[in-house]
Amino acid sequence: MMNFVIENINFIGAIILFAIGLYTVLTHPNLIKKIIGINIMETSVFLFFVSIGYIAGGRAPIITEGLAIGSYVNPLPSAMILTGIVVAVSITAYALSIIVKIHEAYGTLELDEIMKMRGGEND
Amino acid sequence: MIDYTHFPIYLLLVLLISAVIIPLVNKRYNRNARGMIVGAMGIALLLAVITLIQVYLHGSFVYNFGSWASNVGIQFVIDDFSALMTFVIVLLSLLIIIYSIRDVEHEIHPKQLLGYYCLVFLLVFSMIGITLTNDLFNLYVFMEILSLTSCGIISIKRNKENLLASFRYLMLGTIGSISVLLGIALIYMVTGQLNMTEIFYSIDVAWELYPRNLLLSLGFIIVGFGIKAAIFPLHSWLPDAHSNAPSPSSALLSGLVVKVYIFAIIKVLFRTMNENIIIDAIGLNEYLLYFAAVGMIMGSVFAIGQKDIKRMLAYSSVAQLGYIFLGVGLATTEGLSAAFFHVISHALMKSALFLSAGAIIYKTEKRKIKDLAGIGYEMPITLIVFSIAALGMIGIPGISGFMTKWYLALAVLEAGRPLFLVVILLSSFLNAIYYLPIIVSAFLKPREDGSEEMTRDGIPRSMTMPMLIIAGLTLLLGIFPQVVMNIIERAVPTFL
Repeated sequence: MMNFVIENINFIGAIILFAIGLYTVLTHPNLIKKIIGINIMETSVFLFFVSIGYIAGGRAPIITEGLAIGSYVNPLPSAMILTGIVVAVSITAYALSIIVKIHEAYGTLELDEIMKMRGGEND
Repeated sequence: MIDYTHFPIYLLLVLLISAVIIPLVNKRYNRNARGMIVGAMGIALLLAVITLIQVYLHGSFVYNFGSWASNVGIQFVIDDFSALMTFVIVLLSLLIIIYSIRDVEHEIHPKQLLGYYCLVFLLVFSMIGITLTNDLFNLYVFMEILSLTSCGIISIKRNKENLLASFRYLMLGTIGSISVLLGIALIYMVTGQLNMTEIFYSIDVAWELYPRNLLLSLGFIIVGFGIKAAIFPLHSWLPDAHSNAPSPSSALLSGLVVKVYIFAIIKVLFRTMNENIIIDAIGLNEYLLYFAAVGMIMGSVFAIGQKDIKRMLAYSSVAQLGYIFLGVGLATTEGLSAAFFHVISHALMKSALFLSAGAIIYKTEKRKIKDLAGIGYEMPITLIVFSIAALGMIGIPGISGFMTKWYLALAVLEAGRPLFLVVILLSSFLNAIYYLPIIVSAFLKPREDGSEEMTRDGIPRSMTMPMLIIAGLTLLLGIFPQVVMNIIERAVPTFL
């Protein structure tokens, strides 16, 4: 059991982070914290993706003669995650800019207060 | 001799380049800028038509970027349906853009107008990318571009509601795309491939060795795409987002963007996984069927209660998406053909509805359904377009919506599921309950100011023409469904 946990600690950590992030996004009323939750979720998926390509004791993928293929770390997941990080940054930037506008319009960042204000306006 | 295989890539390049160049070259949203916007879309349409004709004549083809092998590089598959879908996307976007040229002027701040078209071009670009790509990670990247731009064209109208709607859409959309990415990671973990065709070849072995991984990944991918495509219990973002956006954006979002995600689901289910896993081992299509059936009923029930016309149309989209998922869930040739047909016919009808609702708002600023009494005399052309599309939604013969229901009913009976026929009929009745009163009160009730004159619509011709063309296309598709069905019937066997 312990061995299983230690061998797969990356994946278990990723799933725990994913759950923490999802919980924060869905339950927290503060908009900034929702963004933080989203970022935790993204990080967890990045961790998961990079762990797939990792080989214990593997070398950086620069080909040197006489080494078997299995001795290099798979570079493809890391390369893809670079793209993923760019996407995550742009989403965060866009979300923060919307939050600035929301704060200008409503004067608060708490979603429950905003909902209370909207309820008063609509009916 | 021109190499036609490059045309889909030129199409993407035209959109990408014009998204960047047009706001840079033009300082102001003037005649010149408008000409360039429509011209760029026109070129894109030409390229899409040529691609469609080529695919129709010479069959589908595969495009490898930089001639890398398919397990290394990014690959596009241009088959019958994706070529048709590309054509529909570009055609509808061109019509919507022509409509939007005058309409957005009163909805968006003048300084933002060029930025708006930059977003629209990127939106169309990423939709075509999702339709054509055959690479899972590439799919994810296009999906993120699409989700950012579609939030952008909602929040560009600086209302309080728009900001909240697009924030909620962004949050749920991001959860969706992260789930999809995790699903992709799980597939990559067991197959070592990202190319859908390559995965398809090795999926059976992977399923035997690591069923848990694939089960999890399917779960994440279906939930992720389900949020984006608004499958019934995951639709909560859709009404706010689609109803608050500027009318042309609503038409784009409701008519096209959701459909693209559905096509992505279909690709993952039938081109990446295969029937052995989806149908026999997990029975995933059964769940899709029941969610679709509940969505068809509940979407309409919610729509009946709405007071705002655009909100009602948005809820109606939830119900109509149920039809598409019902066809997908049947997982038979007939069912999938009906689903594909409805992807196109709903795109046409819903754009016509949103554009005509937008025209009413443009002229009269009326959004409440009860204020629309007698508006048929004030804006006859707009309301005729609205009526055609609404009757199509209900399923009156002669309009494309009827043909969908016809094909879907046949597919349901063929599969031996008469229960869902009842659901289809019930949903049609519910559609009638909320669409007919609008048509009746628009044409038969007296106007508020008591005048009985019939007037011209009083909206620019650049707004009426696109609406009339879309309405004409729905009629054409209703009377000659074979035009599209021929292509779909060639495409469906490549999925099943």
